[in-house]
Amino acid sequence: MANRVVEHDRLKKLKDTVAVVGVGESDYVGDYRSGAKGNAAEKGSGALNSYQLAATALKRALDDAGLTKDDIDGLVVGGPMSTERTCEVLGINASWCVSGDAPRGIIAAVQAINAGLCHTVALVYGNAQRSMNTQYGGPQAMGGDGILSYVYYAPWGMTSQGGLYSMMFRRHQLVYGTTEEQLGAVSVAFRKHASMNPNAIMKERFTIEDYMNSRYISEPFHLFDYCLINDGGVAFIIQRRDMANGKQIPINISGIGWSEMDIDSTQLRPRLKDFYLPAHHAVREQVYPMAGYGPKDVDVYATYDSFSTHLLFSLEGFGFCEPGEGGAFIQDGRIEIGGEIPCNTSGGMLSESYMQSWNHQPELVRQLRHQYAGTEREVKGAEVGQYVHDVAGKCLSVIYTRGN
Amino acid sequence: MTERRPNRTLGPDHDTFWAYCNQGEFRLQQCNTCSKIQWPPTPMCNECLSDEFTWTPMSGRATINTYCTFERPYYKECPPPWEAILVELEEGPLFMSNPKGFSVEGKERGTPVKVTFLDCEDDAGPFKLPVFELAD
Repeated sequence: MANRVVEHDRLKKLKDTVAVVGVGESDYVGDYRSGAKGNAAEKGSGALNSYQLAATALKRALDDAGLTKDDIDGLVVGGPMSTERTCEVLGINASWCVSGDAPRGIIAAVQAINAGLCHTVALVYGNAQRSMNTQYGGPQAMGGDGILSYVYYAPWGMTSQGGLYSMMFRRHQLVYGTTEEQLGAVSVAFRKHASMNPNAIMKERFTIEDYMNSRYISEPFHLFDYCLINDGGVAFIIQRRDMANGKQIPINISGIGWSEMDIDSTQLRPRLKDFYLPAHHAVREQVYPMAGYGPKDVDVYATYDSFSTHLLFSLEGFGFCEPGEGGAFIQDGRIEIGGEIPCNTSGGMLSESYMQSWNHQPELVRQLRHQYAGTEREVKGAEVGQYVHDVAGKCLSVIYTRGN
Repeated sequence: MTERRPNRTLGPDHDTFWAYCNQGEFRLQQCNTCSKIQWPPTPMCNECLSDEFTWTPMSGRATINTYCTFERPYYKECPPPWEAILVELEEGPLFMSNPKGFSVEGKERGTPVKVTFLDCEDDAGPFKLPVFELAD
């Protein structure tokens, strides 16, 4: 790997220059329960489309921010949508527009705003993946051919991100002795959080015993280690900090970090040999010094959670505990609201909505606004929030802080 | 007996890998300049950017890195419970495969295994698939 130079002075200049001023999302529950008699919508129904979901989310984010679409001069488009069609549907001719997932979009937008290319960026995502019957494993996974770690190994019957991440957790078990019961604390905690969230799809709490009794999908992963497959849209608006109109408490973007780890990714070396730790460590060296905070200062945390095990690895990688200690660290309510480091407080992708990094951002923003004050969902006095994204050959992180 | 399997990825370089397998040889691309062994097949060495390779025989000796067992069907050719293993070749590369003649249940990391070939078939025709059995 090439030597990394972290230009702390340059990064620090970007601290708190940009803030999140509006957030919104579609009706995850209503869209999911649109099947007969309130059952889950059928896969492949074609009932919803991604652009419509994104548009719903953007309107809500604009309302939340007290802005109109004419205030938007930059766009980040996520999910299976083209930038051209998205901008057409939303009626916005922006001066800057890129595609990406939420953290890549945030980091790109911070740069674009600081470069003077735009000042108010809408980040929008829509994904009608249930209506479209998108496949994440099997013969039609991600289009069904090509060099992709969980497509290439078809002749050996190896497929799906769940297969890969279950192997990653198995490796953790073999190296450190971590147990399934320990891992179960993640999905139990996230479900508990979802039970407090009216817009979470899966709200029924379960216990470690229920978790252990649930069926395996790819052993050692149980059903509850997997995220949902649902339709939805998310949008948020980030703006040059000095332009924020004050309708909402601006939530500053105080730290950003990014490290790719793609070499030998089809061999699965970054995941299965290295647990993405070198990428975690490289991002730590950017995001924490830039923000001026460390893991001990983080009040509320969110991690990409297509699978429960992401939390284990990111907490180890970012120094909340040592590598190998994750299984013990996540016990006894430590990751629950009211615990030492509340994680994925909306229920995350396991229980709220599978929005592929997008739903975590509005949740952190609302926690830092103290929007849940006085409810059981509140992380009391939260000032610093962190999102960590370690998936598919990369790690990114964003630290948010409550502005004044 | 020939096993039906999901389709291989074929094309330039991939075809060479499978052609050696069909002769019962387990060979991977090795860079002529810097000696890095590449897997899966690649058009260019990602260490030194050379595009000159030799298909070098691997010893076939490996150790188990990790594994999983699919309990949900994904491919009709691979009914559950379906075991996949990731092995670490003696020469360094990680190789996704299947266990032959043993179950992964309770296996420790580092368990020695060795390559063997299964007679298989996909849409492109018959082929030999490298899989791993316990080493003596």
